[in-house]
Amino acid sequence: MDNSICQGYEDEIQSLEEEIKLLSEKYEDRQRESTFFSDEEIQMSIKSFQRESQGGSRGCESPSDLTAQLESLETDLSFLMKFTGIQFTSHSKKTLEKTTNRALQKHRLSGNCHSLSFQLEFQLLEMQNKENVSAVITDLSIIMESGESSDVSKFVSSTEEHGNLLKFFRSLSSYAEWHGHRRHTFLHFK
Amino acid sequence: GVLAHLEMLEARAHQAAVKQEEVEQQEQKLARLQARVQELRAQRDELRAKVDLQEKEQLGKEGAVSNPAQPSAQAVLEWKIKSIKATLQIFYLTGISGKLTKRGVCFCISTAYEGTYLDSYYLDLLTKPEVQIHRHSVPIFIPLEQIARSYLQTDIRRFLSVLSEHLNAYVGRRYQADQLQEHFSEQIEGTLQRNSLCNLLVFNYKVSNKSKTFPFKVRLLYGDLCCSLPTEVIVSCT
Repeated sequence: MDNSICQGYEDEIQSLEEEIKLLSEKYEDRQRESTFFSDEEIQMSIKSFQRESQGGSRGCESPSDLTAQLESLETDLSFLMKFTGIQFTSHSKKTLEKTTNRALQKHRLSGNCHSLSFQLEFQLLEMQNKENVSAVITDLSIIMESGESSDVSKFVSSTEEHGNLLKFFRSLSSYAEWHGHRRHTFLHFK
Repeated sequence: GVLAHLEMLEARAHQAAVKQEEVEQQEQKLARLQARVQELRAQRDELRAKVDLQEKEQLGKEGAVSNPAQPSAQAVLEWKIKSIKATLQIFYLTGISGKLTKRGVCFCISTAYEGTYLDSYYLDLLTKPEVQIHRHSVPIFIPLEQIARSYLQTDIRRFLSVLSEHLNAYVGRRYQADQLQEHFSEQIEGTLQRNSLCNLLVFNYKVSNKSKTFPFKVRLLYGDLCCSLPTEVIVSCT
């Protein structure tokens, strides 16, 4: 009889520890989502961080690690934007649901691709099973600047229907590139 | 007689003492567990209150909320790093992402069928003296060399775009075949036969009507490697 009481306590301890972990992750995620620092604040932080650490050894990461990491990430990002022609002007995400192996986030994204601008909203469901992580897009909503063209609107509504975000970007990329070429050619002959 | 009796009493006393110790240990363990449960419950309740308060604050205010306490420079940098990583993750969703390396670029081609993201493939490219593929994880039945010969030197974007089409189509065909096998296992007889490129599918299935069952054999040929829909379908009644 005593053993079952002990077991009951141990089970509760385990579930409480899990719940605490999830709650603190949720808190941190939301805290991060509502934070925003401007570019100047970031520059100032870089300078002050380097000054601070010159005075003595810092706690977690050395200044060179963090600033080097930031630089490398920024270089990668600007390379990708230049290479693909896709520039994201704003991105916000909100965690709707999070458990140990399931996370649902709502994303709002706007940007342009070779001068064609777009605005997107979608939900991303990530699930962890034994072997891998799966990612599924739902509730995709796309607004395109040149939405008047019937081809574009047909394409947009069919991609929205199937949640085909990847196809949207791949097609947008090639359409936008050729759109640019066509405009140049047209202007040339005007 | 007496000695045996004494021994028996001693043994009994010993047993009682051992039992007493066990009971005490059990009680201590229970007390410890109880205390831990209380501690964790309190921690959990505190966190719940914190999260609820956070929710109320965020619903009340619109737009950016600046931290009341001045964050350290390290926290600001960590925030920026996380923010850039999030944007890089979005690039993963667009189908082509990557990272600069010492000698070139490592591209990642992601694939998806409708809204479900599937496998990703890597291409480690060197850029000097000319663009060449150093390593890759593209399966051998994808005509990578042929595509590279046509576009890699002249138009690298086109190269990636064509390769992405092939990979997405292959993964799309494979996914559809898997889904078919999974969701229609009752109607399909045996297993789906397919080649590695998943552009040839052969299977038998049955359609039941009242008491009769009709066996069919299907052959699906996907002639266009950049397409995940068949170009030729042959259905025959066996």
